[in-house]
Amino acid sequence: MALKRQLREKLRHRGGIVYCAIIYGILFLPIAVIVANSFNATDTKPYMSWKGFTFDWYAKLLSDRSLLSSFGNTMVLAITTTIIATVMGTIVAVGMYRYKFRGKGVIDGLLYIPVVIPEIVMGISLLVLFTSIHLPQGMLSLVIAHVTFCLPFVIFNVRARLDGYDQSLEEASMDLGANKLKTFFGVTLPMLAPGIAGGALLSFTLSIDDVVVSFFVNGQTMTFPLKVMQSIKSGVAPDVNALSTLILIATILLVVLTQSKMVPNLVSKLRNRRARTLRSQDCAGTSSVNMKEES
Amino acid sequence: MRDTMMSRRSFLHTSAAALSLMGVTATGLTGCGGSSSSDNGELNIFIWTEYVPDSVISDFESEFGITVNASTFSTNEDMLAKFTSGEDDAYDLLQPSDYMVKLMIDQGLLQKMDTTTLENIGNIGSQYLDQDYDKGNKYSVPYMGSVTAIAVNTDKITDTITSYADLFDAKYAGDIVMLDDYREVLGIAAESIGVSNNETDESKLELVRAQVMKLKDNIKVYDSDSPKSALINGDCVLGAIWSAEIALAQRENPAIQIVFPKEGAEISTDNWVIPTNAKNVDNAMKFLDYMMRPEVAKAISDDYPYVQPNTAAIALMDDDFKDNVAENVPAEVFESGHRTESLPSDTLKIYNDIWTDLKS
Amino acid sequence: MKLSSHEFRSNTLPAAITVIPAVAWLALFVAIPLVYIVVMSFCSIDEYYNVTFQFTLGNYANLLNPSYVQIYVQSLVIAALSTIICLALGYPFAYLISRTFKEHKVILYMLVIIPFWTNSLIRIYGWRTFLGASGFLNAALMSLHVVNEPVDFLFNQGATILGMTYDLFPFMVLPLYTAIEKLDEAQIEASSDLGAHGLATLFKVVVPQTVSGIFSGCIMVFIPSLGAFYISDILGGGNSDVIGNLIQRQFQSGNNWPLGAALSIILIAITLLLVKVYQCSGGDMESLGV
Repeated sequence: MALKRQLREKLRHRGGIVYCAIIYGILFLPIAVIVANSFNATDTKPYMSWKGFTFDWYAKLLSDRSLLSSFGNTMVLAITTTIIATVMGTIVAVGMYRYKFRGKGVIDGLLYIPVVIPEIVMGISLLVLFTSIHLPQGMLSLVIAHVTFCLPFVIFNVRARLDGYDQSLEEASMDLGANKLKTFFGVTLPMLAPGIAGGALLSFTLSIDDVVVSFFVNGQTMTFPLKVMQSIKSGVAPDVNALSTLILIATILLVVLTQSKMVPNLVSKLRNRRARTLRSQDCAGTSSVNMKEES
Repeated sequence: MRDTMMSRRSFLHTSAAALSLMGVTATGLTGCGGSSSSDNGELNIFIWTEYVPDSVISDFESEFGITVNASTFSTNEDMLAKFTSGEDDAYDLLQPSDYMVKLMIDQGLLQKMDTTTLENIGNIGSQYLDQDYDKGNKYSVPYMGSVTAIAVNTDKITDTITSYADLFDAKYAGDIVMLDDYREVLGIAAESIGVSNNETDESKLELVRAQVMKLKDNIKVYDSDSPKSALINGDCVLGAIWSAEIALAQRENPAIQIVFPKEGAEISTDNWVIPTNAKNVDNAMKFLDYMMRPEVAKAISDDYPYVQPNTAAIALMDDDFKDNVAENVPAEVFESGHRTESLPSDTLKIYNDIWTDLKS
Repeated sequence: MKLSSHEFRSNTLPAAITVIPAVAWLALFVAIPLVYIVVMSFCSIDEYYNVTFQFTLGNYANLLNPSYVQIYVQSLVIAALSTIICLALGYPFAYLISRTFKEHKVILYMLVIIPFWTNSLIRIYGWRTFLGASGFLNAALMSLHVVNEPVDFLFNQGATILGMTYDLFPFMVLPLYTAIEKLDEAQIEASSDLGAHGLATLFKVVVPQTVSGIFSGCIMVFIPSLGAFYISDILGGGNSDVIGNLIQRQFQSGNNWPLGAALSIILIAITLLLVKVYQCSGGDMESLGV
């Protein structure tokens, strides 16, 4: 009986591995195509047939002004959006949690709208608004649009953190004499940090990949996704593939770095070295203090 | 779970940092790249996709020291939509087709241009000037013309195709690429049953509707940006697309041949116009004059062989061009073609409904 | 007013300062635009495509037009199929990552997210390159003599569904993963200790406890797929228009903003209906955003 179960477990395990491998294969398949095509020595549109291996497109990438500037725009947009959404979102999340007032339900409703509404409706509603108030369309309209759909996500993430939050530390801080503002910055904010970080990161991710909303409100400012959309229409030139491959490599390197022990090891090595130099500079009197530092 | 959340976060933290670094670098690079040529100001142009070669634009930039910002569109209606929903000084030059020029003039969207200041205007053949949509060329100068002809991949299609009507045969299911433009497609359907492509009579439009529906199974790809791709890739073996696209497809695959439809092809002329509140009018005029130089017009035709109104440029073309009917479209084809005209909004509503039906 | 433990006595000024900026933002950029859209949906257009304030129900009357109904139905079908496929493929996947291979779950989780750091448009285009008539798949099939002519993988509804499923897969996996993570290990063990074999445990213990994750994932896949016009453009070739395409066209070549507005209102109505269903079946709105 136990043997049969073991066999079944093993089969299930193997089957599981195969299944996951297939799914990952499908997930990464277009990535493989993109990377492969970035080395494609084809020079005529639509750049689909394989004509040999080359690094040329990576070189051409540096001189493709419009592609690089669209990437720059996307970065500036994403960072600006994240900062504004995170600050505003954190403040309002804490405020709603802290204070009692009527109308919380209405605010909640307003918050859920950008999350559940199809992006296309968000895009066109903002286009209609901006046109009627003659707002200049470009980076300004893009930032406003992006903050609008990122804000709820920040708020939800911070609120999730607030729910499991220990009030007593705040009360202790104020009992010890710190005023509300000091408590907020010294105690509340650090405790909320993971929630804020989660919201900020989600905001950044949503902003850099946004196509639908940006499509309607961008005016003439090109963002990277929109530039890709434009180049798809006439056949994606492999320098777009090259840029995407570079981004991918950067991301993978980061996973490796943060997951392996390389960075923490490096940091502690540097710390040890610094402690050792300090100790060697000191006379005998302070060595006991340094030993405590090192541990 | 806490562990995964923290490491997930640290991963995302660092990747965000790195991407920001790349982005800042990218912005820095573009900053360096762009500073060299913007001494004499800017020019914002809104053009058809695959219509003005990048080389022509960058040569203009280096010769005149003007930075050109080009955005693209794929149909006249898209252009109008984007133009009217943005700032009215966003663009200095637009490229509407004939009927759209008339519509924009009527709406007061365009400013008059003094063509006498354009030295090279004499190069434009007189048969392209002084058209009904802009008598006396007060608001526009022609850029190039297009003919919507039939593309046949003779390797795969052995039947003789001679007219638009042939495309509606059920045996071509899943074989055809057409423009993603409702005026063009409905126009083709109308012509194929002898109805005008600017028909307003509702009973006749019902006939057009029935004809259009035959295309539902036949059309595999709708593409107004680069319709030749479908032919070159082999995704489609028949098409009703612009003559220059057919010529370009032919360069990649000589089996692709052009056929001018018996009924008379859909034709149009695209024109340069200047919006009423454009910012850089002087630069715009310089650009237009530059565009009409024979060698520049020839360079344009080399890349995008549409109907070239510049007679001086044609004189410079070699025999490969002159003998190729796809590139050097015979005059009688252009003269016997059907132009699109603007229609009342009620009629257009019917056209749009038919289009929605087709695309569903 | 009875305050709960974390609420201070209402000090209006601090409350106002913290809350008003964001509320004003939301009112201005979420609520008011929607009001505009509602108003616009009852407007008409003139000869020159300008919006006129002439009241009409004509835009909504389109809902009775069979071709519009067909597009709506078709979109719902495409969205439903994408959701079902995502769920069918995603649930076992999330379970395997979270439970069976839990030693490596961090890496496995990252591997799901990494592809989505590449721009989604270009990945969809990667599919187009792969599946096209002269793409890699057809080239391989032909060189292996499996087929003589290129197979038409693209430019039909199937390709659109593939694209939607692919693009929205992580939105299904992430909520499922979170829900499965919260499972009470003890209950599963108890179930198998009491003699239930694998599948029974799965359907009677695991699935019911992860229902919130399932609903969350389904909503996060279904709603976006109604509006993601770029996927049906790139992979469907214009042959399998979804509601998103229809709406987008009214703001572009159709030049009929009031019609686009009316179509959007109908789409919002469908969305709100789904959300209501979700809420009534116990779904937590906040988990949609985390």
